[in-house]
Amino acid sequence: MRPVARFASMLAGSVFAAGLWAGVASAEVTVLGWPGGPEETALRAAAEAYNARDDVSDENKVELLFFNRDGFWDKLQADLAAGSDAFDLNLLATYSIGRYAPFMEPVELSDGAQALYGDAVLSTMQFDGKQYGVPTDLSLHFMYYRKDLIDALMSDDSAKARYAEISKEHLGQALEPKNPDDWTWDDYAATALYFTKAVNPDSPTRYGTVLQMKNLLFNIMVWQSTARSHGGDWMDAEGNITVNSDAFREGLELYKMLYDAGATPRDSLSYEFAEANAAYAAGQVAAMVQWNAAAADLTNAEKSPAVGDATATIAPPAGPESRATHIHGLGLGLNKSAGNKDGAKAFLKWLSTEEAALIYARAGGAPALSAEAVAAVAEERPDLVQLGEYAGAYGYVMNGGASANALAIYELQAKEFTGYWSGQQDLDTALSNVEKGMADLLK
Amino acid sequence: METTHRTEWTLLATPLVAFLLVCLGFPAIVNLIYSVSEISFETLRNPQISGFGNFVAVLTDEAFWRANWFSLRFGLLTAVLECLIGLGLAVFLAPLFKNRSWPIAILMLPLMVAPALMGLMYRLVLHEFAGPVPHYLWAWFGNSPSFLGPNSAFWTLIVVETLQWTPFAFLLFHMAYQAIPEELREAAAIDGATGFARFWRIELPLMLPTLAAALLIRFIDGFRVFDNVYVLTGSGAGGSTTSLSIYIYEAFFKQAAIGKAVAASVVLFVASFMVLYGLNRFARRRRR
Repeated sequence: MRPVARFASMLAGSVFAAGLWAGVASAEVTVLGWPGGPEETALRAAAEAYNARDDVSDENKVELLFFNRDGFWDKLQADLAAGSDAFDLNLLATYSIGRYAPFMEPVELSDGAQALYGDAVLSTMQFDGKQYGVPTDLSLHFMYYRKDLIDALMSDDSAKARYAEISKEHLGQALEPKNPDDWTWDDYAATALYFTKAVNPDSPTRYGTVLQMKNLLFNIMVWQSTARSHGGDWMDAEGNITVNSDAFREGLELYKMLYDAGATPRDSLSYEFAEANAAYAAGQVAAMVQWNAAAADLTNAEKSPAVGDATATIAPPAGPESRATHIHGLGLGLNKSAGNKDGAKAFLKWLSTEEAALIYARAGGAPALSAEAVAAVAEERPDLVQLGEYAGAYGYVMNGGASANALAIYELQAKEFTGYWSGQQDLDTALSNVEKGMADLLK
Repeated sequence: METTHRTEWTLLATPLVAFLLVCLGFPAIVNLIYSVSEISFETLRNPQISGFGNFVAVLTDEAFWRANWFSLRFGLLTAVLECLIGLGLAVFLAPLFKNRSWPIAILMLPLMVAPALMGLMYRLVLHEFAGPVPHYLWAWFGNSPSFLGPNSAFWTLIVVETLQWTPFAFLLFHMAYQAIPEELREAAAIDGATGFARFWRIELPLMLPTLAAALLIRFIDGFRVFDNVYVLTGSGAGGSTTSLSIYIYEAFFKQAAIGKAVAASVVLFVASFMVLYGLNRFARRRRR
């Protein structure tokens, strides 16, 4: 490259870099958001609406900052621990709130926040009895199932007889096909087995279900509703670890039985969100429990031509104790080292109003709103109605699920439980290791 | 003259020494302090010296030894496979490469892919419903093996790593093979040596230093593997594909066990130093 050209390109690079820096440095309230998805789009819309308000001064306008999703929480951990003031507000998740709380400050929400979100949803952003963030998005689980397959099963007597045979053989009781909204975990298991070619060669699908069993904390969140609906919890009210229980055994054995029977793909022990969605979208799976975030794709015939028109969503099956879905929130909270705390607090307070929540929802976000509030966007976002309804009726956070070591506990369970599912250790060892590890982590 | 020379040397060496002190010395000292401290993300700036508890925790942790065993097997197997295949390609395809360089460029392509991206690519390629490999196996044979199941994940990772890094070993052997004087081969041929005898008695001995270097480099690279394994299988069912690097990363970030993670890295550093020192001494003795 000629010297002049080289200099020019260096200059252009410097100007570009300075412009980027100025973009961040001149912002008076810098918000570090969750990049690259509907959360980013929704946050941009909310920030734009906030900045357009007459009562927001120039020095309190909001500037957004995004970095890559990969390793986001680890990078955020390092930034917060280093006392970075590069952002005033940052993303929070229920399962990591206890880890970040020492580097954050509790926040005050708007007067109408309780009525807008409800206590269960607000609790997803609480730690040690204090509110650390505004719950902008909620994640929970749906049971995705193929209406066409279930309808065909329920209207065919010979299929029903075969269904009863299979359930008798694998579950010890002859079951009848039911409407998925009335399913227990046994009904789900029987349906999964019936629609598995390895069990029922006449099955129209290769697998009855797809389980995401990779050694990954998010997969434990998907699984743990099986234990919860049998009455399981991490700890009792006195703080005793209660994972070594029949409830956890039931849930773990259910997955193991389905995996061993071939009702889920053989590589399920390496599956997570994307792999499970791909399996379901291929039209070779009859039902699965999956994050609500998959609904937009799996119920859309353009995005999932093989299943989009035939897929319905309901809450996960019931156990003997309850019907349950794990919930966790994503939200925004206040960095203890923030440079503009007053401006940041003002934005958070506004963000927790109905006006902001509806702007956020209309722009693609997934806030869990009360029935009254969600009615205003029900036509545009019918999925939010279901989200709020299920969160209120079935949502739970395990006792200790927002503690400082919650992430480490999920990691521990993921390692030990996948060890059991893969046949590397027995159930007693897995539960005993988790119990021991949790006692250390929750000291 | 002597003084000028020394001044020049000092001036030239100062940036390098400063770089080493800042980039290696400082983190090494911090690591040593953290490894004997009670430390968390809240107390990064105020570590409390607590003795050798972190080292005891690491050395008595079964997962640490499993990770070591995984890394050792992975490093050895991939290094041997890559060198064997790379050597074979360099020797058997030598006539093809004599007057053409474009086949080499094609062979080098896997090196241009970032390991994490390679892992991501194989997640797709081997997926039962989205990947071409299982798709055609189902189409042709009505079945497909489990590539990433608990019993096969290790071998799949070995194949993925070998496919990516064999070109590196090949390149080293190709250069070493090309550097052997043609007269030696011609003389051996005139003396009646067969192709295999020429390879075994002349070419291979001359390429032995390259072979040793390639094995060492590839073993080190395989032993410290992280990206592609982490992307493809994570730490594996029950921790079955946890390499030592993954063990350290997970202890640090996922379990927030900073002292333990740093202690593990110090153990790894000491072990690596001893191995390299031993190899260096061995090589010196051989030269004498």
